[in-house]
Amino acid sequence: MLLPIARFEFRYLLRNPIVWVTAAFTFGMFFISMNVAGFELGSEGGLFRNAAYATLKNYLSISVMFMFVTTSFVANVIIRDDETGFGPIIRSTPITKFEYLFGRYLGALAIAALLALLVAPAMWLGSLMPWADPASLGPNRLVDHLYGYFLIALPNILVHSAIFFALATITRSMMAAYLGVISFVAGFFTLQDALSRPQLATAVAVAEPFASRALRDAARYWTVPERNAMLPDLTGALLYNRLLWIGIAALFLALAYAVYRFADQGMSKRERKKQKLAERAGGAAGFSPPSASVGGLKPAAPPEALLPNPQHDNAALRTLVWMRTRFEARQVIKSLAFPVLMGWGLYTTIFVLLTQRYPDYLPTYPTTLSLIPEIEDAFRVMLMVVAIYYAGELVWRERDRRVHELIDASPLPNWAYVVPKTAALAIVFVSMLLVNVLAAITLQLSLGFTDVELGKYVLWYVLPATFDSLLLVAVAIFVQSLSPHKAVGWGFMALFLVWQELNGMARYVNHNLLNYGGKPKVPLSDLNAAGSFWMGAWTFRLYWGAFALLLLVIAHLLWRRGTETRLKPRVVRAWRRLAGAPGWVAGAALLTFIATGAYAYYNTNILNHYETGDESEVAMAEYERRYGRYSGVPQPSIEELTLDVAVFPKERRAVTKGRFLLRNLTAQPISDVHVRLADDGGLELTSASIDRARLIVDDRKFDYRIYRLEPPMQPGDERLLTFETRRWHRGFRNNQPQTTLVENGTFISEMQLMPMLGMDKSGLLHDPELRRKYGLPGPMEPPRLEDISPTTKQSFENTWMKKSDITVSTDAGQTPIAPGSKVSDVTRDGRRTARFVSIAPLRPRFSIQSARYAEKHRRHRGIDLAVYYHPRHAWNVDRMLDAMAASLDYYQANFGPYQFDHFRIVEFPAYRNGAQAFAGTIPFSESVGFIADYNEPGTIDYVTGITAHEFAHQWWPNQMLAAETEGYTVFVETLAQYSAHMVMKRLRGEDQTRRFLQFELHRYLQGRARSNEEPPLARVLGQDYLAYRKGSMVMSLLQKRLGEDAVNRALRNLLARYKFKDAPYPRTLDLIAALRAEAKTAEDQALITDLWERITLYDLKAGQPTATRRPDGKWDVTLPVEAKKFYADGKGAETETPLAERIEIGLFTAEPGRGAFDKSNVLLMERQPIHSGRQVLKFVTDRKPAFAGVDPYNYYIDRDSGDNVAPVG
Amino acid sequence: MLNLQDVSHVYPNGTRALDHVTLSVPRGMYGLLGPNGAGKSTLMRAIATLQTPTEGTIRFGDLDVIREPEKLRRTLGYLPQDFGVYPRVSAYQMLDHMAVLKGVASPADRRTTVETLLHQVNLWSVRRKMLSGFSGGMRQRFGIAQALIGNPQLIIVDEPTAGLDPEERNRFLNLLAEIGENVVVILSTHIVEDVSDLCHRMAVLADGRVQLEGAPQELIHSTRGRIWMKVIDRGELSHYREQYEILSTRLFAGRTVLHVLSDRDPGNGFTSADAGLQDVYFSTLAQSRRAA
Repeated sequence: MLLPIARFEFRYLLRNPIVWVTAAFTFGMFFISMNVAGFELGSEGGLFRNAAYATLKNYLSISVMFMFVTTSFVANVIIRDDETGFGPIIRSTPITKFEYLFGRYLGALAIAALLALLVAPAMWLGSLMPWADPASLGPNRLVDHLYGYFLIALPNILVHSAIFFALATITRSMMAAYLGVISFVAGFFTLQDALSRPQLATAVAVAEPFASRALRDAARYWTVPERNAMLPDLTGALLYNRLLWIGIAALFLALAYAVYRFADQGMSKRERKKQKLAERAGGAAGFSPPSASVGGLKPAAPPEALLPNPQHDNAALRTLVWMRTRFEARQVIKSLAFPVLMGWGLYTTIFVLLTQRYPDYLPTYPTTLSLIPEIEDAFRVMLMVVAIYYAGELVWRERDRRVHELIDASPLPNWAYVVPKTAALAIVFVSMLLVNVLAAITLQLSLGFTDVELGKYVLWYVLPATFDSLLLVAVAIFVQSLSPHKAVGWGFMALFLVWQELNGMARYVNHNLLNYGGKPKVPLSDLNAAGSFWMGAWTFRLYWGAFALLLLVIAHLLWRRGTETRLKPRVVRAWRRLAGAPGWVAGAALLTFIATGAYAYYNTNILNHYETGDESEVAMAEYERRYGRYSGVPQPSIEELTLDVAVFPKERRAVTKGRFLLRNLTAQPISDVHVRLADDGGLELTSASIDRARLIVDDRKFDYRIYRLEPPMQPGDERLLTFETRRWHRGFRNNQPQTTLVENGTFISEMQLMPMLGMDKSGLLHDPELRRKYGLPGPMEPPRLEDISPTTKQSFENTWMKKSDITVSTDAGQTPIAPGSKVSDVTRDGRRTARFVSIAPLRPRFSIQSARYAEKHRRHRGIDLAVYYHPRHAWNVDRMLDAMAASLDYYQANFGPYQFDHFRIVEFPAYRNGAQAFAGTIPFSESVGFIADYNEPGTIDYVTGITAHEFAHQWWPNQMLAAETEGYTVFVETLAQYSAHMVMKRLRGEDQTRRFLQFELHRYLQGRARSNEEPPLARVLGQDYLAYRKGSMVMSLLQKRLGEDAVNRALRNLLARYKFKDAPYPRTLDLIAALRAEAKTAEDQALITDLWERITLYDLKAGQPTATRRPDGKWDVTLPVEAKKFYADGKGAETETPLAERIEIGLFTAEPGRGAFDKSNVLLMERQPIHSGRQVLKFVTDRKPAFAGVDPYNYYIDRDSGDNVAPVG
Repeated sequence: MLNLQDVSHVYPNGTRALDHVTLSVPRGMYGLLGPNGAGKSTLMRAIATLQTPTEGTIRFGDLDVIREPEKLRRTLGYLPQDFGVYPRVSAYQMLDHMAVLKGVASPADRRTTVETLLHQVNLWSVRRKMLSGFSGGMRQRFGIAQALIGNPQLIIVDEPTAGLDPEERNRFLNLLAEIGENVVVILSTHIVEDVSDLCHRMAVLADGRVQLEGAPQELIHSTRGRIWMKVIDRGELSHYREQYEILSTRLFAGRTVLHVLSDRDPGNGFTSADAGLQDVYFSTLAQSRRAA
């Protein structure tokens, strides 16, 4: 019987349109993923569209996407019978419970399984299409599909179908199943990121239901060629994950079988109670004849005489609206789904807040500012679900509950449907969001953080989120009033959301005026609150709010009152109903819509520049065609800079008067000076002139000018360039606001203040595909390391200004800051003016800042160390000053003297992240170090780390420039990262190194896996994963092997040669030579080659160590070690190479890098010769070691860094 | 009081539910009798402003119901044939809510209204219970209570006695009769006794047309002497069907009692029977069937 029942179910489902829609959707999606640009799906970062890994991800995503579909199939196979009342008939036939339940389930499962199988033909056929780009496709391999289908997709479908089938069948409620799916999905996506902490990696990989984590982890460090062709082994987390979840699926099926009552439906407790109540009431019952006396009520002749007459005045209407609103709101809040949704929302909020306090293990104080984006993210989906779900419920409630005839025949006015229903949802949203805020505040207080800012929660979160949700509600109500059925309306809204999300990603519709609910971002900051950014967002909210109101008026006009449900008669009637108040409201909404739209347009397109992504690409291509050829034309350098910057924070305006004293530092005469603006359109060059020069090109569109020098500048000649610029952020932009000049927390870089000299290619289109598209010549080839010419090339930014004299004026309440020693500081007539003069050469890279700061200074070795900070962000100021002092000491002792008499950390708003290093000044984002929380034990001291890193930039590159060629960033980031690491080592001891290095190693390996081609470190071109991460690993290992002093000596010598020198500049070749000069042995020389000139990977693994007590009380320790070494090429292909190096072996009483591990836990640490293959090392120790390992602090690049240390058995 | 002129309604699927219905309903109880599918509910909904008829006019006093449904609703009490309830709402809350909808705004007025009505329909003791847990009879009583809010001048009750036990039905009809003295009450039903017990006037609706209209007593009178009965064996029924126009058959003690309509004595053992409203009804239906 099982199979016939399954077959029946299968055929039954084939008539379900969802099946066919899903089939078309699945096939179409994966078909075009093979051949349509910009639609790669599983393929990413240079993978083939049909790469093995992409194929697996496609099967993964289809199985996740199928959840709702599969649930709609399997959940109602049984419930259907109860709803139609057909159940008892079927259950009285001779089929068994097993056949009934699982026959039905199997039939539905088979459909879902078959649908997922469509991925294979879709991808295969898609890859054969003539318009498919052959370069983006690899061979189609059956085995990828078999793996993806049978190990990923099918088990996933089995798992969720079993769970939701069981849920629906046991609870006898589709609703429960759908809520289950929603919670499941919301939980999955919300917790995905929250659980990204590496300690949990394996546990999460096993426990996560779709195996997406296990899959990702397995291929975590795979390079592109590997992911193109390799399939993960079915071992470890992946295997356990599959077994675990198939087991869970079986468990749910068994549960459904055990709990489902076949023979007798019975009555639930609640139903029984209801029935009893009904019986009791019915028994007592009957109508009391009106003449009889009941319960003390006096008999009355005609009953109507007793009843008050209705009123239809305004007071009655007010009561009506209020009561109706309350009633609707209560219906939502008391509905079964609401507490579930709320509970889930709260749970995820709290969970996210707790875990997100540790982004990369860097806990921060739970400031309101930092929590708002988190709770917003955590709750976003929930708000959408509530908006769409309840809008449908509310619109259809009377009809669904069959009370519509009662309500519709009562004299409530027509508008008393839409208005209270919308208002009720507004109340629901506000209360949901307030509860959400309450959770956040509870968290703050429970962490001992008492600076709760309720106003910010309300203004920055509750109000905007409520408004935005209501915008969605308006659409949903509108759609539901047109839709013939609630489910159709829901489906349409789901499509609407998908469209909006896709649009959000791809920006098909770019302008907020055309994109429903679109608005500019409102960046938040403690320094500057919401600034004036909220105005743009609220203008658009008003605009779309007016539109939403129009939708609601239409919904009102089309409202189904009475038993007429057809659309056409309602449309006809709508015109008549427009007269009066609805007409006035619609008119007012339309006027508001037009007025705010015009105002928004004036702001985004007239006061500010607006262009679509395509337009900006076209412009960039045009820019290159016109001026790209001038790149490399020799230009004079700025020898002296004089600037007078007047900042008007309230007006968001700055006027700059400047003067460049130019000098020709090249060896040939210069006849043309190219003056251009290189910021993103906020800067105007109001005037410019050069001595003895004539303007020959004046391109206002691209802000590009060429001055012909008459006579040309001979080598060594000087010329004066004077200019005036204006920066004025008026109104608001369409999307990303201008954040440089704000009311409090202005942070402007030199590019945003003054013109640049000479063309530079860095801002042009680099993507080869885009270059082809716009007909630009070939890919941009970076200069090669071996090429000598970059060493003599002077670019605008890569030169020394010998002098700078910068005056900044701002509002009296703010502190102006610019590079240089402050020589005067006067406040007069409401303006504060400070002048800064540099006592040492500096690069033309700097920033001007102005805000209401608190200051803390410390004098250390004659240098004024200072932190300028938001008065409420005082937590880590002393730590920063300590870090500065420690860095200064280390760097002066090891690299050479510091060039300025001051060093400043200056806080800037959280609009940008991180910290930057300019001469003597580090602008430091408020979101980085200022709110770091060190109350948590074991926190990595990243404030000190960042401070030390940025301080190191005062040497690298602010004392030594490098040639702009391959390896350039080594001179900036690698050296700074190394220096900071040495400061940290000095402060915290070497034994803390493992955590730091593991972190760097992970980031390197991850970056490597995502890159198309990896150069050796000596040839790095701006890849952060190399310059920072690998660089840091390489330098750490070198200082370990050559000695810290030797490495520092090498750097010191190099610096001495190039300090404050103009061209020729050093290359990494010179740095490597300096290091080689310190290497004493052939082994060390080979190591330098391996680290700098090759891509070298190690695989070091500790076997099971043993410790046995000797008669003399000491311990015999054995440690088996397995070792391998590989060279990889740029694409990731590896060849094994013999390993024979002396590598550190460590014996410990605690696990290195965990908890409070320190020096006292180290029993032994010594270098031992290690060769490829297996070897057993023997030691004698005084105490018993608990852990033993090879390269225990992870100095070597090893993809499995966790197995270097093993507990002693 | 209530006048319907040429009211027709055609549903989108082509069904002509009402076919030129013209009726004049005075104050008092008015019975609308008809078999299932006769168009009773459509007519009721049309009068209750829930369905705009395709053609015709409906006037209540001076009021054009189709033009200004809002005005009629202010004085309308309507008990639909079949209605549901909101979940998780008690009888008291729901009645209170309905009172607000009907314009009883002040809390004091509402309390008086709700308490009086709950007592009157004997739901006082279960006022805090959820409506969704009510039995059919209780729900029906709630329905009549809400229809009485605000002293309506027009009360429409559609099949109100369906699902009530005989005692409940009795009490319900008493209550209606009491109210029906001063206002227009239209009672639609397919149960003949409901009409004969209560109504001063009545109409029979079949196939969307008014087949008969008048006071029950007069109508009964008009068929006097034309109704004949005979008790036969069950097996003979088909034989009789061919020969006579049978109004009704019912079983009595295992045998079949036949009523036939005939102007003259049909002979063959038939005896004259006392005509009831039932016979009037059935004879009207028989005529309408013949006409069709």
